[in-house]
Amino acid sequence: MKKVLLSVRDLAKHFGGLRAVDGVSFDLHEREILGLLGPNGAGKTVCFNLISGVYTPTAGEIHFAGIRSDGLPPHRMAALGLGRTFQIVKPFSNLTVLDNVIVACGVDRYRSLARSFGGWTGAAVRKKAVELLERVGLADEADRKAGLLPLGHLRRLEIARALAVGYRLILLDESFSGLREEEIAPLMDLVARIRQDGISVLLIEHNMRVAMKLSDRIVVLDHGRKIAEGLPGEVARDPLVIEAYLGRGGSSRVA
Amino acid sequence: MNAYVVTVATLVAIQSIVACGLNVVVGYAGQISLGHAAFFGIGAYASALLTTKAGLTFWTALPLVIAITGLVGLLLGIPSLRVRDDFLAITTIGINFIVEAVFLYVPFFGGALGIGGIPRVTFFHVKMKGLPYLYLCLAFLALVLLVCRWFTRSWAGLACFALREDETAAASMGISPVRFKLLAFVLGTAMAGLGGALYAHFMRFISAGDFSFPVSVMLLSMVVLGGMGTLWGPTLGAVILVSLPELFRPLLEIRFLIYTLLLLLMIRFQPGGLLGEASLVRRVFSRLMPGKEAPR
Ligand SMILES: Nc1ncnc2c1ncn2[C@@H]1O[C@H](COP(=O)(O)OP(=O)(O)OP(=O)(O)O)[C@@H](O)[C@H]1O
Ligand SMILES: [Mg+2]
Repeated sequence: MKKVLLSVRDLAKHFGGLRAVDGVSFDLHEREILGLLGPNGAGKTVCFNLISGVYTPTAGEIHFAGIRSDGLPPHRMAALGLGRTFQIVKPFSNLTVLDNVIVACGVDRYRSLARSFGGWTGAAVRKKAVELLERVGLADEADRKAGLLPLGHLRRLEIARALAVGYRLILLDESFSGLREEEIAPLMDLVARIRQDGISVLLIEHNMRVAMKLSDRIVVLDHGRKIAEGLPGEVARDPLVIEAYLGRGGSSRVA
Repeated sequence: MNAYVVTVATLVAIQSIVACGLNVVVGYAGQISLGHAAFFGIGAYASALLTTKAGLTFWTALPLVIAITGLVGLLLGIPSLRVRDDFLAITTIGINFIVEAVFLYVPFFGGALGIGGIPRVTFFHVKMKGLPYLYLCLAFLALVLLVCRWFTRSWAGLACFALREDETAAASMGISPVRFKLLAFVLGTAMAGLGGALYAHFMRFISAGDFSFPVSVMLLSMVVLGGMGTLWGPTLGAVILVSLPELFRPLLEIRFLIYTLLLLLMIRFQPGGLLGEASLVRRVFSRLMPGKEAPR
């Protein structure tokens, strides 16, 4: 049996009367790529925000890397090796693309004040950041202001920053949306290779072709509840899933 | 140099130091503070009291003054920095009015009469006034600029830039918003404390009105005019805003109106300030001296 890296137990998040996440449980193993799917408003992004510490759960538990992690703030989760992207991209607009990545490379430096007094302008850090930009194919844009990049580039910048932080787990929230067709294949290769470095991936993706191909297993949410879990092939044939995506009667999109 | 020019230049140097501190808070960390004069005042009063009532010298008092101001900054910063950015502006205005009222109404702080008889700074038994005091202030300004430069090149400074740009994203990279905003706030207020001490021993008489809300607006105008987040911007802003009213005396009476107008105009038309990215000055500079860059 592979070791469990992230375990989510009966997780719930309510916003007033809205049950955005309502009793969801699943495990993510080391070196696994787990797809988190579901129609719009299913609660996927809220799940990410719970796991990464942006929200505290209304109920339930999260265990990450051997510790109980629900309630820890985002910067503590980052220090535990959890990197994430944002569905609505959040670049540091007035910093260069390279400096955006360098910020993420400093994740260990922000843990104590004393360590944060060291300099960030050294060659070693720069080299590491350039390598990350090369991995996502943004090296040519290194010196541009991040705010000037088109959306497709920003999605890849988000991935580069997440890679710098997440040495255990990376959460990708619709990282493939807004990309041009020819940008998708190299990025799929990148995600597949992340696992080879011993990192797990939790993936929210609306592009079914991408999700089915990349994921080892898939969890499907609808209205905040888990309606299916299994291998990509099984899940795609699950009548509950087909109904959630298409309403009664359809069958064309999930295939 | 005649005495008048020296006086104005000394005030410019002191205001530059205080504006540099505000720049750490506003320019580097993106926290709008409209109460910076309060910390300028706390530094001035602390130094004045320690030297007149406790009998310390300027030099023995100075580390205490900087520590006290930074500590008050820390204590006031903890609740203030937890509120949303737009509330912070309001909260800091409140801090300014409260601190001014304390100076004005608590007898310990001299009340409406303020504090007089503040001793001159002595340096190896020489009383510093005129040109030597200007040099002392410039030396401290240089020190403050060095600290600012160090800060922008430290991870802590980078963390502040990231928080200024996007707090949620910064936090997802291991940056504790509270820790680093507080650090910027404490550093900025400590610089204001240093400026306050230099001011007190220069004027030798201080009163609450010297540190009122319009002074905060003036300081913010300096930072915005010169260029938020740049190294030399606050100094340039201080040079312009302190010397202009002196050159055009009639302006002196309405200078706070001018500061406010200037603040609004800059934010509307040159949000990056004179030394900021793609500013007018920067473009003219590159036209005149191709291949060289204007200081920032
Ligand atoms: N901060 C919030 N306050 C109130 N309601 C929220 C909040 N965040 C999300 N919601 C609601 O929770 C539900 C789930 O939202 P979520 O963003 O997780 O959907 P999603 O599965 O990511 O959908 P999409 O595919 O469109 O991104 C939605 O109804 C949304 O409006
Ligand atoms: Mg979403």
